[in-house]
Amino acid sequence: MKRYLETGNFAITEGAILAGCRFFAGYPITPATELAEAMSYRLPQMGGIYIQGEDECAALHLCIGAALGGYKAMTATSGPGYILYADPYGWAIGCEIPLMILNSGRVGPVSGITGAPGQGEFYLTRYPTQGGNFETIVLAPNSAQEAMAIVVEAFYLSERFRTPVTVLADQLITDGFEDISVPENEGEMEEMGFRKWPRKINRGPEFYPATDEIDIPPVVLGHNTGALCSDWTPTEEGYDIEEVAAHHKHAYRLIYKIRNHRDLFNTLYEKTFMDDDPDLVVVSYGTPSRVVNTAVKKARQMGMKVGALRLINLWPFPDEHFTRKTKYLSVELNWDGQLVREVQRAAPKDSKINFLGTCGDLPTIPDLIEAFTKILRGQSLERRGWELEGW
Amino acid sequence: MKTRTEILASGFGGQGVVRLGQILGEAAVKQGYRVTMLKSHGTEMRGGYVRSQIVFSKEPIDSPMVESPDYFVALSLAAYKAFKHLVKDGMILYDPAFVVQLDEGLVCVQKPVPAKDMSVENFGRPVFANTIMLGVLANLVEELDPGTVLDSILHVIPKYHEENKKAFEVGYELLGKR
Amino acid sequence: MDYLSKKYLRSRKIPSTACSGCGLGLNHKAVVQAVYELGLEVEDVVWGTSIGCAGRQTFGTWKGDGFAGTHGRVYAIARGLRLTLPPEKKIILTVGDGDAFGIGLLHLIHASRCNADMTIIVNDNLGYMSTGGQYGWTTPHGSKTDSSPYGMYEHNLMSDGMDVLGVLKHAGATFLARHVAMDGQRAVESIKKGIQNRGLSLIHMVFPCPTNFGSRELGTRDTVKIYEWIENQAAPLGQEKENTVWATGVYFDASNSRPEFSESIRKNVETIRRTAAL
Repeated sequence: MKRYLETGNFAITEGAILAGCRFFAGYPITPATELAEAMSYRLPQMGGIYIQGEDECAALHLCIGAALGGYKAMTATSGPGYILYADPYGWAIGCEIPLMILNSGRVGPVSGITGAPGQGEFYLTRYPTQGGNFETIVLAPNSAQEAMAIVVEAFYLSERFRTPVTVLADQLITDGFEDISVPENEGEMEEMGFRKWPRKINRGPEFYPATDEIDIPPVVLGHNTGALCSDWTPTEEGYDIEEVAAHHKHAYRLIYKIRNHRDLFNTLYEKTFMDDDPDLVVVSYGTPSRVVNTAVKKARQMGMKVGALRLINLWPFPDEHFTRKTKYLSVELNWDGQLVREVQRAAPKDSKINFLGTCGDLPTIPDLIEAFTKILRGQSLERRGWELEGW
Repeated sequence: MKTRTEILASGFGGQGVVRLGQILGEAAVKQGYRVTMLKSHGTEMRGGYVRSQIVFSKEPIDSPMVESPDYFVALSLAAYKAFKHLVKDGMILYDPAFVVQLDEGLVCVQKPVPAKDMSVENFGRPVFANTIMLGVLANLVEELDPGTVLDSILHVIPKYHEENKKAFEVGYELLGKR
Repeated sequence: MDYLSKKYLRSRKIPSTACSGCGLGLNHKAVVQAVYELGLEVEDVVWGTSIGCAGRQTFGTWKGDGFAGTHGRVYAIARGLRLTLPPEKKIILTVGDGDAFGIGLLHLIHASRCNADMTIIVNDNLGYMSTGGQYGWTTPHGSKTDSSPYGMYEHNLMSDGMDVLGVLKHAGATFLARHVAMDGQRAVESIKKGIQNRGLSLIHMVFPCPTNFGSRELGTRDTVKIYEWIENQAAPLGQEKENTVWATGVYFDASNSRPEFSESIRKNVETIRRTAAL
């Protein structure tokens, strides 16, 4: 094991290489540029390929092409690039192509603030493309070290489920420095809980079987298997077909291969002070969860019965954590409230749901303590930011 | 009991604020600490100050934010004004060449470190001010081993090893033995 | 089913679902004939297609491996595939004019820029015909379509001295040719040259659409009429008449003159892997 003081971009690069990624196509965008740069340096050393796309849409299509050629491939971007994936992301979902996609969140909409963290793509990662009739797997680490592990896990899941997996990070994770331990061999990888799944080749004749089963090898071209893949509704052999019944089978697979095998990743969460049925559950993901954890520990010392639930597996949304009727507070890096809507949906009807949003900067511990205090007293939170700006 | 050490450094772009954080962070990693170091945002680079937030601890670090710095290194007036209020029990180290206007109302300790002038005086140019400041910190921050900090300086800055060693010593001696 | 179809195409997809009188089959046949004359086998080719008439009708016809990209993006997919397929595998793409010269032009230019080894047959039915007949980027000025009821009045890529092949030539493509569907063996020869070029080859092949273009612009679905209409405006390069829109033959041949994309990337990666530098 080697220890470094390095950025999340470094950790993600090393994680991807450990997972067997040998192809990266990207497009420069803050704050994911350094990841592309690190890949451009590291991949050729490993015999891997780094190229730049003419835009993000092309970049993900290039990755799709590489995956079709049998490579483990990835791209990385931020919100304004992620929206340009809509086209290839849908194709990859439909054709069941394993890919790893990293999104480092910044302040939006559009270009917004380039160098500050945001969490504006919670729902976008659930619906990265049009048409519906699919589930997506989205994982959100909260540190550089964990980002490395989650990237390895995302590659693993993408192979087993035959689908793109988005890792939703934020600018503080990708740009921030941290002490990072990198395993140097398979034994150390195992020790750190890293799982790997090799690329297998589907030999046909059923390339798109009507089943919710996982571990079906994906389509790989160039082996004369007679594989077909397209953007149209496929028959089991991959022919295009305009038939609702056939599409129903296909959609069923896209939805239920993931829903019915959530046990493979729904253990990805962290609970702090959650054993004694706390009066307030603070829900968050990504970097804000680290401040939440500190604040919750402090609140406990102050005698507040507060617990923290940190989601790593964001989608499919883990409803099972929200069965208890209690008070919830969603802490997010956006001002519109995204995660909070899902908490509201998943929690029992008369639970009290609260939202604390900041954007561009993390919430502070005093902010959080104040919010906990108010909620526990039965008061509602004001939108302080708005009031300060005179809105 | 104090479980974590927080250091905030802030100044203009080009003063080496991020590098200073990187050197301290790397020394802490070498000493087996868990470390986070957030470098400033792009907006801040254009808006007057760059910021490094260094946290190290024997325990895993939750919040990487420096909300109550043990040491605040202020290398510009804008940075000083922006973050002075964060310091409660800690200490402000400021370079009087840049922080020309002190808030005497603060309760915390504020120590001038004329790193820029000392660099010019000793080496004929200001580029070693950062290393001088690191020498001061190596002396003050009890959790850090001065030899390890110096090693990290020499590792992170591949050039001018002799000058950097001397600058480190100049800084280390400035506030007397710890 | 003739010998060629039996050898290379899937019986399930023959006959195709194209409209009666559609000229796409002529283009498709020319490509298969070229593959045959080059002595290539099914496993030597990965066949990609696009969206629209040309893509949909040719998708899944090739007996070997095949794919259809999202609209306009097949050039980027093929480029990623080129990097990861064995170099001896041929990539052939049958696409439409809207796909190549409209929504996909950026990707096509970049595939040309890096001279990625693939042979692209752009089957041009003079607009967006699978959506019912709207004008596109090669639709002649004045043509009546469902979206140009007064006659097409936008600039296009094929008049006023413009030629879309010129764009691609300057973007770096190394083999470019143009034909009309009725060119027969002349087209086959150009496609063969294209496949033999280790780099980006594109053959622009105009074909008649009686159902939409014919019925709107020419006022008839009479196959003979639209075939004649196209033939009248086509002439071999060097023998152009005043009304020639499509000068047919090899437009530009710099075959095997520039480093090919995947070959050059593989070579550089291998050098870096061995020596940690270039």
